Amino acid sequence: MVGTEAIPLGEPLPEHDAGTPLYELSGLERTFSKGGTVVHAVRGINLVIDRGEMLSLEGPSGSGKSTLLQLLGALDTPTGGSIRFGLRDLAAFGDKELTRIRAKEIGFVFQHFNLIPTLTAVENVAIAMFPNHVRPHERRERAEQLLNSVGLGHRLHQLPSRLSGGEQQRVAIARALANNPSVIIADEPTGNLDSETAKEVMAVLSSLHASGGVTIVIATHDEEVAKLTSRRVRIRDGAILEDTAA
Amino acid sequence: MFSLGYVSKELRRRWGRTLVTALGLAAGVGLVMGIIGVSEGLSDAQNRVLSPLGSVGTDIIVTRTIAPTTNQSTTTTTTTTPGFAGRGGAGGGGFFASGVAGATTSSQATALLNNNASVITDLAKLGKAGTKFTHDFFLPGTLITFPSVAVSDVAKIPGVTSAVGALSLQALHETGTVPTITDTVKTGGQTISTTVTPPKLTPAQTAAERTCIQKVLEKSFSSGSGGSHGTGPGSGRGGRGGTGGGFSGFASNPAVEKCLTPAQISYEQKVVVPEQTITRILKPPTTNTSTSSYTVAGVDPTNETTGLVTKAQLVSGTWFTSQPADEVLVNTAYASTKKLKVDGTVTINAKSYKIIGLVAPTLTGNVSDIYFPLSTVQSLASASGYVNEVLVAVKSSSDVSAVTAAIQKELPGATVLTSKSLADQVNGSLNNAHKLANDLGGALAVVVLLAAFLIAGLLTLSSVAKRVREIGSLRAIGWTRGEVVRQVMAETIGIGIIGGLIGVAIGVGVCAIIAAVGPGLSVTATGLSVGASTVGSLVGQTTTGTVTTIVHLSAPVHFATIALAFGGALVGGLVAGTIGGWRAARLAPASALRDLG
Repeated sequence: MVGTEAIPLGEPLPEHDAGTPLYELSGLERTFSKGGTVVHAVRGINLVIDRGEMLSLEGPSGSGKSTLLQLLGALDTPTGGSIRFGLRDLAAFGDKELTRIRAKEIGFVFQHFNLIPTLTAVENVAIAMFPNHVRPHERRERAEQLLNSVGLGHRLHQLPSRLSGGEQQRVAIARALANNPSVIIADEPTGNLDSETAKEVMAVLSSLHASGGVTIVIATHDEEVAKLTSRRVRIRDGAILEDTAA
Repeated sequence: MFSLGYVSKELRRRWGRTLVTALGLAAGVGLVMGIIGVSEGLSDAQNRVLSPLGSVGTDIIVTRTIAPTTNQSTTTTTTTTPGFAGRGGAGGGGFFASGVAGATTSSQATALLNNNASVITDLAKLGKAGTKFTHDFFLPGTLITFPSVAVSDVAKIPGVTSAVGALSLQALHETGTVPTITDTVKTGGQTISTTVTPPKLTPAQTAAERTCIQKVLEKSFSSGSGGSHGTGPGSGRGGRGGTGGGFSGFASNPAVEKCLTPAQISYEQKVVVPEQTITRILKPPTTNTSTSSYTVAGVDPTNETTGLVTKAQLVSGTWFTSQPADEVLVNTAYASTKKLKVDGTVTINAKSYKIIGLVAPTLTGNVSDIYFPLSTVQSLASASGYVNEVLVAVKSSSDVSAVTAAIQKELPGATVLTSKSLADQVNGSLNNAHKLANDLGGALAVVVLLAAFLIAGLLTLSSVAKRVREIGSLRAIGWTRGEVVRQVMAETIGIGIIGGLIGVAIGVGVCAIIAAVGPGLSVTATGLSVGASTVGSLVGQTTTGTVTTIVHLSAPVHFATIALAFGGALVGGLVAGTIGGWRAARLAPASALRDLG
């Protein structure tokens, strides 16, 4: 079940040159064909994201914000231009390689938390390490550590249904950190939370960024959330409207 | 490959879905087990009932039968004399004497007809005309008897463990009034007188006669008879007065007699008609006689395991004792129609026989109504030393065909029936049900199994569809397509295992219920050519040679069935997993990000 190839967590992959930017997008295009009409979701975006940045993507629905996030998260491939992730061009990869990159280097936080409802908090975190062939007991240990670090040490064995929204999202953040990724892609992480809880979750993300140096990209339409990031990129109609550093 | 912890938690914590899918598979395989169980139960029942001759400890029955024709049966009615033994002997003699070439059909027919000759009996022997009579006649029907020596001949054949002779007869029970069938007419004894006119002599004959006589006369005169010397009319006339004596003396004179022409020697005769008594049949024996028939068999009372009836068939009472001559066993069916009970009696030809036991009929072999010790039947039928059936037990079933061939070689013209050939004559609901189970059961099992697979597949499909975000998230956080597919399949195989366990339990339960309820299945054996069943056609009666038995159905569960059922459930899980996995593989990782509400 579990391979022997246990990678040391927390070390950058060999091909990762710390000197290069994490992301380098140039002329990035993503078009969808739907019933004969072509939708240009992303049109010619140029963007560089450095390691350790905490960036927010803002834009209303239909702005192409989500598509851009999927491209950054290696969940989708562009139809034009290039998207360099470290030294690699994600546009050149197929599903297998992208899956591998996601498993090792990208953590995800979703609006709806997307926890496995049948698994406890600790199991939900541990399962993220499964594709990387981490031994079960190591998975478990690390999962517990991570949950402690997000303040859920007392709720390790609760099922998601027994956790509050904020707690679920903290479990999701712990899961996103499980494989010690280079970047955390967060899609509306506070979208399903009340403002109080949203603040808590943002605090967790901010402290992660501050302490660990992990790059965080947050897609949001919440001004309050965007304000907490060091760089704000506004998207309109598939293009960058505004790119401001705080 | 897949996360076992995740699988077990998925199955446990979504117990409802797991159980529904598993129950779908379980119901499928349980039903299949039930179908297989019933089918095997029917097979078992059929084997139990049909092959055995085993039920009477017999594997082969040797008889000598012939199918009567209309022609022959008319011939039979002209035969009038009883005398069973002689004709039995003739039949038996023919059986072995005809030897190598084998008895021809016509010689067999003759033997058979002789054996059945007493069908029409001289009823006058039963008493004076007009008196009431009750009498039982014993006929061998279509079976030709042969000497008991055949039994020991068969017993010597290699592979035969035992050979037992039996005499199976059709009994005609006749009651009625002795008819007037003859009258006696005395004829003859009269004396008839006739006068015969001798033919006229020719002149030459007359002359020769006269000359001859004259010579005789001259001779007698010359020898001196006094006074009558001399010739002349006077002397002639004078002699007239003494015509009588003279003539008589003349005629009685042998010398004179010699002179007579042969036609004149005798001309007067007395004719006496010989006295004789002629008995004529005035009417055919069609009186108020009523006839009923039943079957009897003579069995070896000392052999409890092989024969037309065995101790195993005993339902009440006891087996033949050491002095069995007046003891009988009665078939339960016959006993119930005739209201016979153990310790009761049956009366045959003014002799009482004690019913010592009731026996259940078997489907195969020759089922008789009353079983006597062999010697009793032989004496009732005046057929001492003869049997008409040899029941053979062989060492193993694989010997049957070899022994059959050996018997046919040893006893040419014999009909050798094996349990298999008898089983082919058996039908009834058991047979039909078994056929149904075989024909439809298989199809039903396949349909049920496919339906179960389909249900499991659809449930898995819907489960995967409901878990789009969950599975998409797994893909997003780095699970490969293969890992997700294997995960889904591992889950459904787990469901298959659970379904298999429940299904086996259901199947075992269903089979146990079937066995407990044990629906009765009737088995009817008809048209067995063994025994006296076809004698009816000889005497213009209809006898039904059918036996019906009720067999209780059981549904055995064999290990193979359990393995098959469990395997079926696993395959069902695999099929469902393949369907679900295919669906899961098609989920884009980005679906995790979609707002699905």
